[in-house]
Amino acid sequence: MIKTAFSFFFLLAAVSIAAAQPTPTQTPAPAKPAPQAPHTNLKVGQAAPDFTLRATDGKTYKLSDFKSKKSVVLAFYVLAFTGG
Amino acid sequence: MKAYQADIAKFDANDTQIFGISVDSVPANREFAKQNGLTFPLLSDFKRTVVKDYGIFNEEGGYGNRATFVIDKDGVIQHIKEGSEAIDPTSAEDACNILTHKKATQ
Repeated sequence: MIKTAFSFFFLLAAVSIAAAQPTPTQTPAPAKPAPQAPHTNLKVGQAAPDFTLRATDGKTYKLSDFKSKKSVVLAFYVLAFTGG
Repeated sequence: MKAYQADIAKFDANDTQIFGISVDSVPANREFAKQNGLTFPLLSDFKRTVVKDYGIFNEEGGYGNRATFVIDKDGVIQHIKEGSEAIDPTSAEDACNILTHKKATQ
């Protein structure tokens, strides 16, 4: 009985030591990939996400208000004063 | 944006509402519109919800990337251009033209 307990303890200790050892073959963290411009996951044929936003003319526009009235072009630009 | 302004008549002719949209505040956009002579409305996505919904939010920069979406009268996306391709409005105009003609032939 004592022998069994002892072997169990020994095994446990061995496992703990092994776990504490740093893995020698650990490879350095891969270089962070260059930040990529996010690409939309929306596709042609999908419903456009609705929104309600304030505009420069003081009005608030809701995309779904244009349904069956007009086509809408949304030209996203990066920031004002960056050209384009 | 200036290129879109220059071609606004083409969009109007195709029964299309054009919006500029960015994460700038309304006052910043007003100044931008004034300086560039933009007559179409610029939408302010200050909370960055729309750029996220459209999947073009740049996490690192905290702004939306350049992109153009054409949405038809059914609320369906008919045309997408991203990045530098979105600067030239010609393909968006073509998409609007096609939509108008599609409507006419239906």
